[in-house]
Amino acid sequence: MPQKSHLSLKWSHIISWNYNFYQAKLQEGALSRHWEVDLSEIYDFIRWEHDVISGYGGQVAVGGTQQFLCSADSRRNCSETLPNFDTVCSGIAGKMSEADADMASQGSDPDDEGLSDSSYQDYSDEDINDYYNYGPDDMEQDDRGQIFDPEAFEYFLFNKEEACQFLDEKVTELTQTIQFSPQVSHTIGKVLLQAHQWVLSDVMERFREDSVQLMVDCRILPPPSRAKQVEPPPKQCPVCLQAQEEKDLLSLACNHKFCTDCWQRYFQVQVEDGVATGVECMWSDCRLITTEEFALSIVKNDPVILRRYQQFAFNDYIKGHYQLRWCPGPDCDVLFMAPQPLGRKVQCKKCKTCCCFRCLKDYHVPADCPTIESWLRKCADDSETANYISAHTKDCPKCNICIEKNGGCNHMQCFKCKHDFCWMCLGDWKTHGSEYYECSRYKENPNIANESAQAQAREALKKYLFYFERWENHQKSLKLEEQTFQRIQHRIKEKVMNNMGTWIDWQYLLDAANLLHKCRYTLEYTYPYAYYQDGGPRKKLFEYQQAQLEAEIENLSWKIERAEQTDRGDLENQMDITEKRRLTLLRDFSES
Amino acid sequence: MSTPARRRLMRDFKRLQEDPPCGVSAAPTDNNIMLWNAVIFGPEDTPFEDGTFKLTLEFTEEYPNKPPTVRFVSKMFHPNIYADGKICLDILQNRWSPTYDVSAILTSIQSLLDEPNPNSPANSVAAQLYQENKREYEKKVQAIVEQSWAEGPEEDHVL
Repeated sequence: MPQKSHLSLKWSHIISWNYNFYQAKLQEGALSRHWEVDLSEIYDFIRWEHDVISGYGGQVAVGGTQQFLCSADSRRNCSETLPNFDTVCSGIAGKMSEADADMASQGSDPDDEGLSDSSYQDYSDEDINDYYNYGPDDMEQDDRGQIFDPEAFEYFLFNKEEACQFLDEKVTELTQTIQFSPQVSHTIGKVLLQAHQWVLSDVMERFREDSVQLMVDCRILPPPSRAKQVEPPPKQCPVCLQAQEEKDLLSLACNHKFCTDCWQRYFQVQVEDGVATGVECMWSDCRLITTEEFALSIVKNDPVILRRYQQFAFNDYIKGHYQLRWCPGPDCDVLFMAPQPLGRKVQCKKCKTCCCFRCLKDYHVPADCPTIESWLRKCADDSETANYISAHTKDCPKCNICIEKNGGCNHMQCFKCKHDFCWMCLGDWKTHGSEYYECSRYKENPNIANESAQAQAREALKKYLFYFERWENHQKSLKLEEQTFQRIQHRIKEKVMNNMGTWIDWQYLLDAANLLHKCRYTLEYTYPYAYYQDGGPRKKLFEYQQAQLEAEIENLSWKIERAEQTDRGDLENQMDITEKRRLTLLRDFSES
Repeated sequence: MSTPARRRLMRDFKRLQEDPPCGVSAAPTDNNIMLWNAVIFGPEDTPFEDGTFKLTLEFTEEYPNKPPTVRFVSKMFHPNIYADGKICLDILQNRWSPTYDVSAILTSIQSLLDEPNPNSPANSVAAQLYQENKREYEKKVQAIVEQSWAEGPEEDHVL
């Protein structure tokens, strides 16, 4: 029987693993980084006919799922001749329908008890069809047959007019839905929405519960206890203390009457202070706020104040709106609109600024916004960084010559003695090539609980420095890889000039460099995430995937830097593997 | 030159004369209506009793939409008054309303004297003594009350 850990297998995964393997196999000898699984286990599990997979020598390469640990060398058993991909796929599909029917008929078979996992129960033939419809590039699907891209994020870029229109539509939707007397005017609708971060459903719900309380809480109506205010001395404005005609006095729902001149001067001072939607009634301890309509009727004769009021009010609405953000680029007037406001990547088409939608800082998956905020604050804190003595050079562990890192790859080769070592742990690179890469894993001292407070503090600092060093190292590597990118461009130019292929022939090198940048960027942000992550199996899993990703990235980096000697197929295969590792990590650990 | 702020200050002054509030007194300086001198008498049955505390009020053309800058000239010992005489009082900052006038400001400061808010201390020593050692607090207040009598009689014309 298969082990329990295998039960989260999905049919679609198995197809894609087969496909992965098939594709990988086409690139000779490029499988070393794939996790491989003894198919006989899966075979038991899903009761496949052996002949479907015999073409694969009984092995399946798994691109990115962590639950299979098998011998790394089993790929050598693969048969050299592989069947046509389409034949294999249709064969598998056919066998799977059979297996489905088989399992349905044996649903209560006691042998199957550990297998009643929902992930294959809601699998149906439709999913198979969907899989083929999406084509072989779409490797991962969720239970509904949708492609699941952990970084996918729906957002739109708005200019100011579009954003205004978007806001107006929301208000209209509100005023048309809630009917009461006196009818909610457009301007009151704006106040209600602004007080609820523009979440329409919240306003509706509160309106249904208690519409008067809603209006009181949103400072449109005075509290019932205050409704009968003592009238100010008749026909005198309480601000300028001058006699006024009754008709020249204006008030909000609270009935605190002031003359138009005083209102105008008041608004002028408030708007110059940057206050717009929050301008309150002038009466002491009256907290009612002025609506946009009221404000515009007051400031309409002063074009400067009118324009500034409108500008500030619009800013207030954007700041208050849960789906809208200003692009953080300097002097950029583009707005992001995301139907689901998540901490995902958005990019401005105008100024090219790339950031996280929610916090507008640098994009930071898999870490979430509060994590990255704490991390950046921690890194900016002198008390932590003062303790960190940054070493830009290290000695070769063999010949002790001083080495400065000049590339992004952590696989170092000493210029003098040609010794290969890992920049992170200074260990022999040979142990990194074939075995489990674990330089990214922080080993906690198990006796920490028994030690003194001072020792604990030292341990805490050590832990921080561990993650910080890796985080910074990847930041530096990213910068250095920009130089690599330039070098590649230069080399391509040279090659094209020397009639060694066309520009298009060498494009894959640039693609590889871009991909490397993307992967290393994600890897950089895995360290703050890991720092704040609690221990336990999920942390182990995370560190495992992180180590996998890191190892692939170093491979890719190494291959790109030596692209002349590396075979194109090998490099492209490495790109594919690295990206899959990255996506797998994000899929499992970025917030949904 | 007549501006809304100056007109309003004239009215404030007129009101003060017609309907003088209890225990406070204020008047504009001779040649500048935007700068006032004021005196607050320490409220009865408080440690501040019998004190005559002098203040200045500096108005801007934005008055009454912006509060004046109010400052004690006399030396003070109070949890919400800074060493330089500035006052930490909500109605002089974020809870200001254009409907307040000079009389309202001064009576608010007067009631602050005996109702300090030790949670937002401007003078941490005073705040600590007020909470932990009332006797010592009252002794220090008594000292500044006596000091207030000795200070500059040249400002008496204000009264």
